[in-house]
Amino acid sequence: MTMANARFASFKRLFLISTIVTLGGCASTQGPTDPADPWESMNRGVYAFNDELDRGLFRPVAELYAFVTPRPVRTCIRNAYLNIGEIWSAINSALQQRHFDAINTMGRFMFNTTLGLGGCIDVASMNGQPRIANDFGVTLGVWGVPQGPYLVLPIIGASSVRDGAGDVVNLVGNQLDTIGMIKNVPVRNSLWGLEFVVRREALLTVSKTVDSTALDPYSFIRDAYLQRREAQVLGDADAQSLPDYEDYEDVKADEKALGITPEKSP
Amino acid sequence: MSKMFQLLGQRRFGAQLSAWLLVTFAVAFGGQAAAAAPNPQDPPPVFVQAVADALLSVLKADPAVRNQDVARINEIVQTNVMPYVNFEKTTRLSAGKHWRDATPEQRAALVEAFRSTLVRTYAGALSKIDNGTSMEVLTFRGDENAKDVVVPSSVVQGTNVQPIRIDYRLEKTPEGWRIYDLNVENIWLIQNYRGQFSQEINRSGIDGLIAALNKRNNQ
Repeated sequence: MTMANARFASFKRLFLISTIVTLGGCASTQGPTDPADPWESMNRGVYAFNDELDRGLFRPVAELYAFVTPRPVRTCIRNAYLNIGEIWSAINSALQQRHFDAINTMGRFMFNTTLGLGGCIDVASMNGQPRIANDFGVTLGVWGVPQGPYLVLPIIGASSVRDGAGDVVNLVGNQLDTIGMIKNVPVRNSLWGLEFVVRREALLTVSKTVDSTALDPYSFIRDAYLQRREAQVLGDADAQSLPDYEDYEDVKADEKALGITPEKSP
Repeated sequence: MSKMFQLLGQRRFGAQLSAWLLVTFAVAFGGQAAAAAPNPQDPPPVFVQAVADALLSVLKADPAVRNQDVARINEIVQTNVMPYVNFEKTTRLSAGKHWRDATPEQRAALVEAFRSTLVRTYAGALSKIDNGTSMEVLTFRGDENAKDVVVPSSVVQGTNVQPIRIDYRLEKTPEGWRIYDLNVENIWLIQNYRGQFSQEINRSGIDGLIAALNKRNNQ
């Protein structure tokens, strides 16, 4: 998310390292490949690289930030960043013809910026108007662009071909047009750096849970990501997005009743 | 009462018994007795709200929950959640076509291993529950006469924190409604475990999956 220009050089270096990691440590993937993830072995390489970097740098920094900053202050800062992002969310809702969402989001922005003291307090949520997160990847999806293969990007993490393309537009729309407008370079870059830490801190408990409970954190994150993005594209059409699971208990009962022995799958 | 005998059989029952008695009194006489026991025959939104209210009042009254005492959380889940959940179905759907190849013993072991995994998954979230936490069922747009329904809800965790959207999927059984799937912020529980389950089974069989789950549970 946060791509300060000043960091671009180090970014390129990281990209190079990640490529080497990928080529060197192609994770051997057993079993059939997920059709949504044809580049799995490359993705797993980048994932492993991100994970190392996260454990070695981002996570400790986020933990330190959580340790030295009282919770209400952290919530306030996080809300303020989310508040700036509302404008871009609203624009995307409008681009998706979800005008109701767009108006609600703009209402939230105005409400929280004024009564919520610059977004620090999420007054709108307290009054029954929760945040409607939106971005250009979803807009592309609503316009009919397919998700494309799953893609793990260096630093950014879970993405897809469509969402990766969407992120380039997000970068301009959500970062360069807001914090990016600040002329004072040290202030601007500090704000971006802080945003990165704040966003990472918000995910600390999630990553702890994934670490301790997922059988395979890589596919856990992938499946959750793809599911959530699909739901965001479909919108709030409750019934439409209900997964239809095949229930194999009934199959067995039926076969028993019909006297058919179920074939053993390999 | 049977709950009490189960507790008596436990190793660390001394401290737990006194804590448990305290909780019982708190629940019975502390004004929370007003919350009626969940009735699976009620309409789904009423039932889900009752299950959540009963669970939250127990969790809020128990200091062991805040310390992420997994053993205690396990007990609470066993008493306050499992009777209203068809967890066998949750496990069966997560295992997909592999369920057919599993023996009854393997199925039972898988159900238990998966249940423990989920208790650990949610132990962290449950430990954050305080008096500001509440769950409110949102407008139910489904058909109460259908066999399979979704009840949306919003979990509020104190002021100035984004509420979390949680949907429950229920099926109608002869004994009334049973929850079998859960959607947290657009991610369905079963759907998210299907991939991992099938990956693990393809690699090391059903026993391998059970072992992998239990290995994490015992860490």
